[in-house]
Amino acid sequence: MSDYLYTAMSGALQSMTAQRIHANNLANIDTNGFRRDMENADHFKVDGPGYQSTVHSRNQAPITDFTPGALDQTGRDLDIAIKGSGLFTVIDDNGNEAYTRSGSITVDPEGVLRLGSMALGGANGPIAVGEFQAINIGSNGTISVTLPGGGQANVGQLKLVNPPTTDLVKGQDGLFRTQTRDDAPEDLNVTVLSGHLEGSNVNAIEEMIANMTTSRHFEIQVKAMKAADENAQAGNRLVRGS
Amino acid sequence: MNNTLAIAKTGLSAQDTKMATISNNLANVNTAGFKRDRVNFSDLFYQIERQPGAAQDNENELPTGIQVGSGVRVSGTQKEFTQGSFENTGNDLDIAIVGKGFFQIAQPNGDLAYSRNGQFTKNSEGVIVNSEGLPLVPNIQIPEDALSISISTDGIVMAQIPGDPAPAQIGQINTVNFANDAGLEAIGGNLFVETQASGAPIEGIPGDAGLGSLKQGTLEGSNVQVVEEMVSMIATQRAYEMNIKVVSAADEMQNFANQSL
Repeated sequence: MSDYLYTAMSGALQSMTAQRIHANNLANIDTNGFRRDMENADHFKVDGPGYQSTVHSRNQAPITDFTPGALDQTGRDLDIAIKGSGLFTVIDDNGNEAYTRSGSITVDPEGVLRLGSMALGGANGPIAVGEFQAINIGSNGTISVTLPGGGQANVGQLKLVNPPTTDLVKGQDGLFRTQTRDDAPEDLNVTVLSGHLEGSNVNAIEEMIANMTTSRHFEIQVKAMKAADENAQAGNRLVRGS
Repeated sequence: MNNTLAIAKTGLSAQDTKMATISNNLANVNTAGFKRDRVNFSDLFYQIERQPGAAQDNENELPTGIQVGSGVRVSGTQKEFTQGSFENTGNDLDIAIVGKGFFQIAQPNGDLAYSRNGQFTKNSEGVIVNSEGLPLVPNIQIPEDALSISISTDGIVMAQIPGDPAPAQIGQINTVNFANDAGLEAIGGNLFVETQASGAPIEGIPGDAGLGSLKQGTLEGSNVQVVEEMVSMIATQRAYEMNIKVVSAADEMQNFANQSL
């Protein structure tokens, strides 16, 4: 049977994966701090005699786009966003550092700051704020509180990092980690904006266009598969002699 | 089977939840002491197509695997306890909390519930109750012949009795605070109850230790911003439509394959 059919199939599979990636981007259009993924494929030459002209398409790891998303003003003291590049640190379930752009902080009953279900990472581990009347997060990530009886106290410092984006990989939980799984060094130049949340960086129009393109691309591959099928049928008819 | 459909479906149901929250916020735009809800989304787990470190060819291995996301989920709804706008009513038993804190209300089963709604009235026995007849805790009884009631910023309730030049103190309103007020559970009727996540209530005198002071003759309105809700309604509607488009594109692709092959 012609390997042409399988070449077309590899193209169709690639478009299906691409479409899943775009569907995931669109589904996360409202997820704070979400970074969109871009499909990535390369050509793959099949080895062996008789396959000299056979080149399949093959999926590669999606590339994450780190362009900042739009900032949305919420007015809540514990909503923070990063201006420009940089990431917040959280402590994941295994006690390791992971990084995210989403900054909707909550305070748990023990007074520890959390991002989602994970503890927010400070320069010296998790940050406990205790009882407070008001809380303020400075542009360099310093957290200060107004104590119940009045008076200010510094309670901690966010760990803000800015590793090269090529060194970051998205984990199964959607958080970023470094390639080597080592902790990224603190970067003092990252600027935080309190009272704002960063939206997703998904561009709806771009995703819709990509969705249309992948659909058509898929159809072309299916046509090629059909042509391969017809060729094979024609060959069969010749052999049958009818 | 192509799971684009399933991914787009998660987007649809998440946007649907957001729409329901927006409509509840808008419906309560005139509810005294109402705090708006906010929906938080997070991306679902990523599905590994190929493990990082798998062999690329005889000599090289892949630095990263192929991971494809599986959509979005609602990670939680969160009450936003920002201050609502104040409205001056002049009614003696309308009290607003300026800053943090909650009134304590006794539920019919005796448990305490907490509220920001300061629209109080008195019942047939002269006890201060909320608009649904549930008593304020600690209970305060207003004498039948009281001419006027005054409530100080730190919660002392005084009544002017005929024939007595000095007003008499008839009670003290205490308010409570929580370590994590976003963790309170809303039970309807403008009431919240304590949960594991909110922590235990910390009772105190208004205006003291982080608690906001009281303002008599004023009501705290809802903190819903109509324009903000309308804008997020538009955004939600469009995001919903886009996810529908993905559903139909995935459907067309499979339909095409079915019919052509």
